[in-house]
Amino acid sequence: MSSDALVLFALNATWQIAALALLALGLGLVFGLLRIMNMAHGDFVMLGAYAPVLTAQWGLPPLAAIPVCLLMVGLTALIVERLVIRHLYARMFDSLLATWALSILMREGAELAFGPQFRNVPLPFEGVTQIGTVGYPSYRLLVIGLVAAGFLALWLWYRRSLTGLKLRAMVDNPTLAEGAGINTARLSAGAFVAGCLLAGLAGLLLAPTLSVYPGMGLDALIRSFFTLIVGGLGTLEGLAVGAAVIGGLQAGLSAYLSQTAGYLGVLILAILFLWRRPDGLYRHR
Amino acid sequence: MKRLLISTAIAGLMGGTALAEVRIGVLVPDSGPAGLFGPSARQAAALAAEDINAAGGINGEPVELIFADVGVPPAQAVQAVQRLWRSDGVQGFVGMHDSAVRAAITGQLRGQLPYVYTAVYEGGECATGTYVTGETPAQQLAPVIPWLAENEGVSRWYLIGNDYNWPRDTNAAAQEIIAASGGTVVGEEYVPLGASDFDASLGRIRSSGADAVLVTLVGGDSVGFNIAYSAFGLDQQALRLGTLIEENTLAGIGSANANRLFASMGYFAGIDSDAARDYAARLGATFGSDAAQPNGMGESIYDGLMLLAALSNAAGSLDAAAVAAVADGTAFSSPRGEAVLDGNHVAQTIFLADGSSGAFEVVTRFDSVPSGVTCP
Repeated sequence: MSSDALVLFALNATWQIAALALLALGLGLVFGLLRIMNMAHGDFVMLGAYAPVLTAQWGLPPLAAIPVCLLMVGLTALIVERLVIRHLYARMFDSLLATWALSILMREGAELAFGPQFRNVPLPFEGVTQIGTVGYPSYRLLVIGLVAAGFLALWLWYRRSLTGLKLRAMVDNPTLAEGAGINTARLSAGAFVAGCLLAGLAGLLLAPTLSVYPGMGLDALIRSFFTLIVGGLGTLEGLAVGAAVIGGLQAGLSAYLSQTAGYLGVLILAILFLWRRPDGLYRHR
Repeated sequence: MKRLLISTAIAGLMGGTALAEVRIGVLVPDSGPAGLFGPSARQAAALAAEDINAAGGINGEPVELIFADVGVPPAQAVQAVQRLWRSDGVQGFVGMHDSAVRAAITGQLRGQLPYVYTAVYEGGECATGTYVTGETPAQQLAPVIPWLAENEGVSRWYLIGNDYNWPRDTNAAAQEIIAASGGTVVGEEYVPLGASDFDASLGRIRSSGADAVLVTLVGGDSVGFNIAYSAFGLDQQALRLGTLIEENTLAGIGSANANRLFASMGYFAGIDSDAARDYAARLGATFGSDAAQPNGMGESIYDGLMLLAALSNAAGSLDAAAVAAVADGTAFSSPRGEAVLDGNHVAQTIFLADGSSGAFEVVTRFDSVPSGVTCP
């Protein structure tokens, strides 16, 4: 195997891992903090991916997609939290069913609002960066950098900030946290909206590399789910490890065998983990 | 309005008796993965009914369309067909859907009603009473691959498709046509439906040294593949040819990612003919802001209805045996141009279009291309 092919493979695997970590972050956050498996997670990704479509339609500059995304996804998440999620904290199975229904509702709603057709989101900038003799899409390199920086910042914030401390207190013992004067209802609402916003931002960032249509959320949900199964639910470190294993395995098998082998490998691994190690690689303390 | 006038005229002739109508079942995908084509298919049907009635209807009687959603599993689609047949008194069917649904329908109808299938498909349908207007792999590739060899200088083909029978059968036909035109196949690969990561495939295409890629991925998979293809700059190395890349798929791919992306089909919105321009203008005039983007999948329903009307008028009725007796050689026209039934498939015009600008521009056309299907 030539060194070029090795570099290209490493880049592809890194891209896969970064995209997976980005996609799974919102789902992991909501589950880790609230014990709610948000089946509508992928549809918040979809909503975020439509932000640049809408800003282009309205004739706004490309950067306006960021506030449009935050506003659209944030408001939807806030309404959903008030109407549905709030009543289902600590009821894992009920919340799973309710958010699955929500997912269908959002998908059909998007089809009504945006139409069933495929949309294209142009890259904010074109171009291929030369790494040695290998050319790699510049936008992908930017996303990899952003994901790495974002994860580091989030990890530091969760460890060091007061809100992070309150969150950890809430996860460990909600009743005690409330007794200590922490407004857990507000904190929970904030955590859910934050998780959805992260999903939306993932959609926004990945939109130029994906096919954007109302049903695109399902793929995002499934891949995020596998990542969490392998990594373990509830920690940033686990999520990163899960993304690395799933992304690396799929990229490796796809490159050396076939795409089918890649998918099969991921499925088998997910089943093995659910069966033998339901807590994932990175066990929650 | 036209329809009303004709209806009144016929009612007058008949001395005011209740007007008989010929009911045709139109099977379109309103839901499922092909749901995207539902609106354009329904609009094509509406225009076809208008034109059939304006020309005197089917055997002098106005046609009435009854729609059913067949973007569902075959077992459910068959129930819809039964309902239209047994309860609504439908006398013939025109359908645009996948092959699994087609197989279920032919098994159900058993040649008792004429049925026209209009979707691009893998070829080989020979069931009694079934007529096919959809493009076959032989039609989409036999004239096009030699043309690309001569005019674009490509000879090293890489074949990539989703893993089911249409891409596999298309590529089987492509293998022979490429060999016959002096080219070679440097790679053949199938990815599961719903794939979102094509990096490994793109790496293989690059190292294969291909100068042309035949894309038989469908829908969102095709969009994702073509976006990544351009991101890696592979458009410089090899042109792409798609046999199911229509206007909606191209819009998803985007003009920035469509350099040297060709498509081969029987219809494009941009066909430079009076019939095609008239069709697009009428869609706008009739449906206003609800007019769906015209595309080969949706428009095919227009062809199907025109063929069924022509068959019935030639036979004097929609009786399956009478239609079968006169079918061979039946001609009809549509926005695609002129087509003639040869056996139970049509010999038709195939257009090769270039999507580089973000909209398909027809670069050449091939007339009377045979379907390559001969039934026993």
